[in-house]
Amino acid sequence: MLSNWNKWMVKRHKKVRLRCQKGIPPSLRGRAWLYLSGGKVKREQNRGKFEELDSQAGDPKELDVIEKDLHRQFPFHEMFVSRGGHGQQDLFRVLKAYTLYRPEEGYCQAQAPIAAVLLMHMPAEDAFWGLVQICEKYLPGYYSAGLEAIQLDGEILYALTRRVSPLTYRHLEKHKIEAILYMTEWFMCAFSRTLPWASVLRVWDMFLCDGVKIIFRVGLVLLKCMLGTREKLKACQGQYETMELLRSIEPRYMQEGFLVREVLEVPVSERDIESEHHVQLKRWRKNHGELHWKSPPRMHGARAIMASEPPSRQDLRQNPTIIVESPLPPPQPTPQLQKGEKKGKEEKKKGSMKTHPPVTEIPNPYNLPGDPNFHPSPPESSLGVFSCKFCYSSC
Amino acid sequence: MGSDEAYNFVFKVVLIGESGVGKSNLLSRFTKNEFNHDSRTTIGVEFSTRTIQLKSLIIKAQIWDTAGLERYRAITSAYYRGAVGALLVYDITKHLTYESVERWLKELYDHADPHIVVMLVGNKTDLGSERSVPTEDAKDFAEKNGLLFLETSALESTNVETAFQNVLGEIHRKVSSKEVTRGSISAVSLSSPVPRAAGDPEEKKPCCRNL
Repeated sequence: MLSNWNKWMVKRHKKVRLRCQKGIPPSLRGRAWLYLSGGKVKREQNRGKFEELDSQAGDPKELDVIEKDLHRQFPFHEMFVSRGGHGQQDLFRVLKAYTLYRPEEGYCQAQAPIAAVLLMHMPAEDAFWGLVQICEKYLPGYYSAGLEAIQLDGEILYALTRRVSPLTYRHLEKHKIEAILYMTEWFMCAFSRTLPWASVLRVWDMFLCDGVKIIFRVGLVLLKCMLGTREKLKACQGQYETMELLRSIEPRYMQEGFLVREVLEVPVSERDIESEHHVQLKRWRKNHGELHWKSPPRMHGARAIMASEPPSRQDLRQNPTIIVESPLPPPQPTPQLQKGEKKGKEEKKKGSMKTHPPVTEIPNPYNLPGDPNFHPSPPESSLGVFSCKFCYSSC
Repeated sequence: MGSDEAYNFVFKVVLIGESGVGKSNLLSRFTKNEFNHDSRTTIGVEFSTRTIQLKSLIIKAQIWDTAGLERYRAITSAYYRGAVGALLVYDITKHLTYESVERWLKELYDHADPHIVVMLVGNKTDLGSERSVPTEDAKDFAEKNGLLFLETSALESTNVETAFQNVLGEIHRKVSSKEVTRGSISAVSLSSPVPRAAGDPEEKKPCCRNL
């Protein structure tokens, strides 16, 4: 899929979406996210940019805040647990690079968990471009001074609650619980600090494919589950009690299977969000005047991003992420694989080989008849591409 | 500490101040007696309650902890609503965090009840050797501005209890001396025992009606 990304996105987008809804295989997730978000294209079109930013010093004021936050992201995650360890170092590089890339925006704390989640799946340069895409395409304005975009989305969420769960809406209205009180962390961190990890990944798979509507839907599901029945509402009379409830969401509502199923059911489309955005923006202008921060328009998912920044074939070419010295004779002339098909198969194999030997992905021990392209790893290692010993021996 | 306890008053108190001064740890020290070196950055709001006895009265403190980074100020006004007390925290080892106290104060008075009880809190006294804000400076500033003042260490648990107790006590004094007109400062004053109540003035009405 990744090797024919353009075609899949243009012609069989439904299938891509379906895969994202079913959950991207862990071994492919990082690369898939990079493709979905358009980070891959951005990276190719800006070769050397990250390195350049990485070598610059950065604004000491921003750096001070970033440094303070490095050990305060997923402090229990192996990658970020040690002070000054690789995870924290990379996080620093990515966040610093962003403040240099968009000096007028600077650093906002909620960017750190976003970058950290990306870093768990990809190297620093890729994570940087992933962050750029999330900040500029998926959630534009969320992290900008004044935080107007997130406030506006709070209003949109509130309005949508009315449609999805009138009971919840009335309760929130009665107790004057502004959306900004409970949805800030949800939305700004794309639920990465709220949900159990398996659910975070599933939500991000869908979010990067379909855009912000997924975030809205998750929010609506949680609101509806926690505050959607009379019995539940009876038990939480008051602003504080309601907030407490929304801070301690019952695990069963956040369980990945349940959550994803529910999210797919919520009748809220891109168009609904856009039209509500229009309404709320009008209201905002009436009450607060013009927006101070002009954000670029929001892109609803991978396809919209691709259409707005059409990639060249070169931009989408997969590059090996790990290159090792090959003990084998000098590489054959790089195979300008004539058929995408053939390349696809090889790439696919590489993907599955990157991590621990996945049981399901171990190549079929019975060589597929009539598949001339099937061969074990040697051609790849002769290209100087890291190939996994596990597969090599089992093939 | 459960919410089912009976109490006489509910007071909402907010923790404000720059990022990284230790607001979240002051909160966790007071409400759970916990301290965490690697506590997560606060994005949005965190909160916790603790019920304390003050003389013969039982007071339930709802403490709201907010994000300190400047850009979050745009959304913090919602947190101030209904607050009757505030701990304005700075880090005694970082002068910059003290310099912004005035801005925080303005922010607070812009959005909160004018009678709100405010305590200036210099945190991290355990790092005394790195001190960059002299106690006297802060004390003078507090006096001039009519704020309570205390230095604390959430790490060593120094003065944390006292800080919150003093603020809650002062709120109670203001409320019971009728120094403020009813309805201005918000506190729920009901004869005990009551199962539930909230400190928000807006909340008070529906709450009392239910009772």
